[in-house]
Formats: sequence, C-alpha cells, structure tokens
Amino acid sequence: MESQMLVSLGLILATFALYIVISVYNRARATSDFYVASRGIPPMWNGMAIGGDWMSAASFIGMAGTVMALGYDGLPYIMGWTGGFLLLTFLLAPQLRKYGRFTVPEFIGDRFESNTAQLIAAIATVIISFTYIIGQLSGSGVVIGRLFNIPSVYGTMIGVVIIAIYATLGGMKGVTWTQVAQYMILIVAYIIPIVFISLQITSNPIPWLTYGGIVDRIGQIDRELGLSEYFAPFTESDKSQFLALMFTLMVGTSALPHVIVRFFTVSTMKAARWSGAFALLFIGILYLSAPAYAAFSRFILMTQVAGSPMNELPAWTQSWMDTGLLQTADQNGDGILQWTELSVGEDIVVMATPEIAQLGMFVIGLVAAGAMAAALSTAGGLLITISSSFAHDIYYRLIKPDASDAKRLRAGRIAIVLSTVIAGLVALDPPGVITQIVAWAFALAGGTFFPVLFLGIWWKRMNTQGAVAGMITGLACTLSYIFLAMSGITLLGIQDTGAGLIGVPINFLVCILVSKNTPAPPQHLQDDVIDLRYPEQMTYKDGEVWINDGTQN
Amino acid sequence: MKKVDKKTAEAYFRMRTRLIIIFLSIGFIVSFGVAAFAEFFSQFKFLGVEFHYYMGSQGAVIVFILCLFLNAVLSDRIDKKYGIDDTANAAVSDRNTRRNNTQHVTEERGM
Repeated sequence: MESQMLVSLGLILATFALYIVISVYNRARATSDFYVASRGIPPMWNGMAIGGDWMSAASFIGMAGTVMALGYDGLPYIMGWTGGFLLLTFLLAPQLRKYGRFTVPEFIGDRFESNTAQLIAAIATVIISFTYIIGQLSGSGVVIGRLFNIPSVYGTMIGVVIIAIYATLGGMKGVTWTQVAQYMILIVAYIIPIVFISLQITSNPIPWLTYGGIVDRIGQIDRELGLSEYFAPFTESDKSQFLALMFTLMVGTSALPHVIVRFFTVSTMKAARWSGAFALLFIGILYLSAPAYAAFSRFILMTQVAGSPMNELPAWTQSWMDTGLLQTADQNGDGILQWTELSVGEDIVVMATPEIAQLGMFVIGLVAAGAMAAALSTAGGLLITISSSFAHDIYYRLIKPDASDAKRLRAGRIAIVLSTVIAGLVALDPPGVITQIVAWAFALAGGTFFPVLFLGIWWKRMNTQGAVAGMITGLACTLSYIFLAMSGITLLGIQDTGAGLIGVPINFLVCILVSKNTPAPPQHLQDDVIDLRYPEQMTYKDGEVWINDGTQN
Repeated sequence: MKKVDKKTAEAYFRMRTRLIIIFLSIGFIVSFGVAAFAEFFSQFKFLGVEFHYYMGSQGAVIVFILCLFLNAVLSDRIDKKYGIDDTANAAVSDRNTRRNNTQHVTEERGM
C-alpha cells in the first residue's frame, strides 16, 4: 500500500505541476483576458476545454457508480448531461455569441435593459456555481483523503488551497489551456482501465462493443438470484422521475453560466456551432464509457468477489471497508459472501475497480490523478464564473462603473478567494451526496435561466417585467420543490433531483403571461432579437436585412 | 453594405429553423421517446443487450453527436449558399465586441 500511495501521489503531483506551469505561463495581464481568454480559440480546442470544464467529480467519480447501482434507472445521467449540449448548441450558444456580451448576467442586463434583471441574474449565477462547487470540493476531499488515509476533511482543505491558488494566478486564459490538458489526462485515465478489464473478461479490447454482452449476463445472474434484472426499466424509481431527472439535467446543462461563458471565447456563430459539436464528441467519449465501467465492475463483483469464503476475501476489500464505503456481512452465516451481502458505495466504483481487477499501481494512480483533474478543472471554471459575476456584473457595472482594470481584477480575485473558502467550509460537512448536490445546481440553472435565455433570444415580445418575474418565480419554485421533496412531499413521484420539471414550465408560463400583460420592449431591443436570426455578416436594421460585403454605405 | 431581399432573408431563417426543429425532434425521440416506451422496446435486442438499455447507454449519445456535426456541416453549406463568409463574420464580430465593451461604460439604465 505504501508504494501505491507513492505512485499515486507522484502522478497527481506531476499532473498538478503541469497545470500550474501552463497556468503561470499564460498568466493573465488584462481583464479581458482574465474572463474570456482572447477570443478566437479554435473550435476543436475550445470543445476540448469545454469537455475538461464540464466533466466534474460527479461525471468522473460518481456517474459509473450510479449506473452500476441503479442499472437502467441511472441512465438519465448519461442522456441528460449529453443531450443538454444539443439544446445549448441549437438554441442558445450561437445567438448569445452574436449578441457579444461577456457573461450570462450581462446578456440579460442588456437584452432587457435592466439593472434589476442583471443583478438577479448575477446573484442566481453565484448561487448556482456555488452549489456546484461544493460537490467538486467534497469530491476532491474524498480522493485526497483516501490517498493519504487521512479524514476527507483535511483532503478538502488541501484541495481548496490548490484550487484558489491556480484560479487567482492564471484566470481563464490559464484555465482554458489547463482544461485542455486536464481533459486529456482524465479521458486517458478513464479509458485505460476499461480497455484492460474488457480484455481480461471478454478477450476483446474494445469495451464499447463488449459490455452489452456483459450486461446481458448480469441480467441472467440477477434472475438466478431472484432479483430484478440489471437492465429492467423503472425498478429503482418511477418512470416520471426518470423523465424528470433527464429533463432537469438536459435543460440545466444548456443554462449553466459557467458552460455558456465558454462560448463567448469563440469568434463567430459558426465557430460556436463547431465548438458545441466537438465538445459533445469529447464529452461523449467518457459518457459512452461510463456504462461499460459500471457493467464490468458489477460483473467482477458478482462473479469473482461474491461467492468467495468470508475469510479469504481479496486484500483490497479491507482498505475500502476501512473507509466505510464497502460493507460485507455474512448474514446467513454460511461462511461465504453472497452478492446480496455486499454493499458497495457508489462513489468508490471508479476508484476501486482498477484495484479489484488488479490492473497495477500505475493505472490505479492514473485514475486518482484523473479524478483530481475532473474535480479541479470544473472547480476552476466555476470560480472564474463566480469571480466575473461579482467583479463584472455586480461591482463594475452596478456599484462602481469608473473602477479601473486593476481594481476590477482585484475584486475578481477577492471573490475567488472568498467563495473558495466559504464553499470549502460547507464542503467539510456536505448537505447531500455529490451527485445529488450537483443535480440541484442543474435544477436551479434550468429553472432560473433557461426560459429567460430562450425567450430572450427567440421572442422579441419578451420584456423586462417578464424576465424579472420569470427568474424570481423559477428560482423560488425550484428551490422550494427541492426542499419539499427532501422532506418527503413529492408530486407525481418526482424527487428533488427532478425539480427542473417543476421550475422550468412555471418560469416559462410566468415569463409569457407577464410579458403579454405589460408594454412591449422598445423597438431597438426587438430589432436586436430579429438580428440574432442571421450570421454576423448580416444585420437587421429598420425593418431591412443588410449584408456587409466590404463596401461602406 | 447591401440590402438583402426580404424573401431571401426569410428563406435563410426558415431553413436554419427547419434544421433546428428536425434535429431537436430526433434528439427528443431517441431519448425521451425511447424511455417513455422502454417496456415496449425491451423486447428487442441490439449488440447483445435489450434495445432500451442500448439506446440509453450508447445509442442516444451517438445520435446527439451526429446531429451536432451534421448541423454544423449543413449550416455551413447554407451560409455558403447565401454568400456568407466566415472571415467577414469574424471581422464584424470582433468590431461589435469592441464597441459593446466600450459602449456600456457611459450607458445609463434604470433599475
């Protein structure tokens, strides 16, 4: 175990050193760099950075475990988190890019010509990013804690310090290229284990083709044990919760401020479309692999661990039992561990499977480094979003419009340090499991922003009153439903993680009703909306569409 | 600057909107559609596993990716047909961004 710790630590430190070198090398010098890098990062690299930004501790550590535990009922995470990029790339990102504002609150402030709307949007952005970051910090705490065999509380503290240092040092420019590096490390770390396991148990190295057969065999074993089949639909939750969760994650993905801001770094609407496509391709590689990870892990546990005598369990079981996340109990006292007597914590699946399959120290260390990359990259992007919402939308545009670049930069850095420390304190005693906290952030993002962004872009009649009322009721309804569902009061079987299906339609309804019953927005704002129908070269002005062919008029 | 015929401009917008509706409908069917009728689809098998499970774990994601790339390619083609050039787009976009970011310093807005 000692040498394993050294190898894992060495790999994590080496990758950290790499991120910090890239970050310092690209050290931001001006605010415009700090927030959106310099525009014009090529779509493929931007897509990869979105991937690194996007895939968090929940995707890397949590998702495969959730699918392993829930079977088919865990798949909304796969479809929801990828499908959101469809909504984002078709309905929001290119248009927001043409509108050309830095952040989501800024778009809302300008589209509705209202400081109130901008302030609400900025506060909601901070709440959403803050909720999301708690999950990341506690995730990094779990990884670091296990690594050093220290309580995860200290692990979280170490993670907090590292994240704060590099986010304040590098800003987004650093983060863009560190996120490309982080994507590469985490995807390699995720793929290598399943390729080897696939080779071990099916003698075919292409996991995406082989795990279907394994899923079928798991179903057979389930049948023999008298359990519901792994792939059978709606055994763990209602169909309504399946659909609600998928809807929440999809809509939330497309309305997350820290993901949307990434599309401001591309040069044109066309580049935004390609960035979205590349982002989903790179993200899809991990999401297509998670169900394979889940199936292999469950199969090995069912066939190689279950059925072994209690006193001859493999060595890895002891170290994971020490963490409390793996439990075995010989309930029927026959001296043999049955599958039903084995309780595996969802969050250890990705980390423990390489150990279970005996893939060697290097692969195990690589997975730890990948998990850290996932937690850190997302946390970095979130901190920049919090910082820019505060420094740009609240401080500069609303409190002190004459603030110099240096002052704004300092306000942004103070916001980063403050929010890291506060989120770190909350993460010491997290209010729920990681995937659950993250799902709340999605419900809040969708419930607050999706209808307002969507209608703001596509419906010229949408006005300030509608946007303000929609955001407030959307945020309030989603928050209330999360709390109600947590205390056991649910509607149609929809749980707290599916709260978006409640908040989003209400927000839409309020936006439309309030806008219809209040005066139409000024003509120039309505013209701006029509202008978003066309690429940059075409402009809508005074009822006519003009194309810029290089000649002046 | 040259005026674009109203019909041409509308035709451009219609074509782009049609693409969006088609691709989003496809995305909706392969995810929500299959999940809503999961019990029905479980009688078929694909790549060794029940079809509803296959679609949830692989099929839907692959369709999403294809939709985005196909849309990017088709949209580029439409742009080309209407004489849109992306270097010109980039120049306009860059100019607008600069203007937006100097403009709102002096801008006055009500709460």
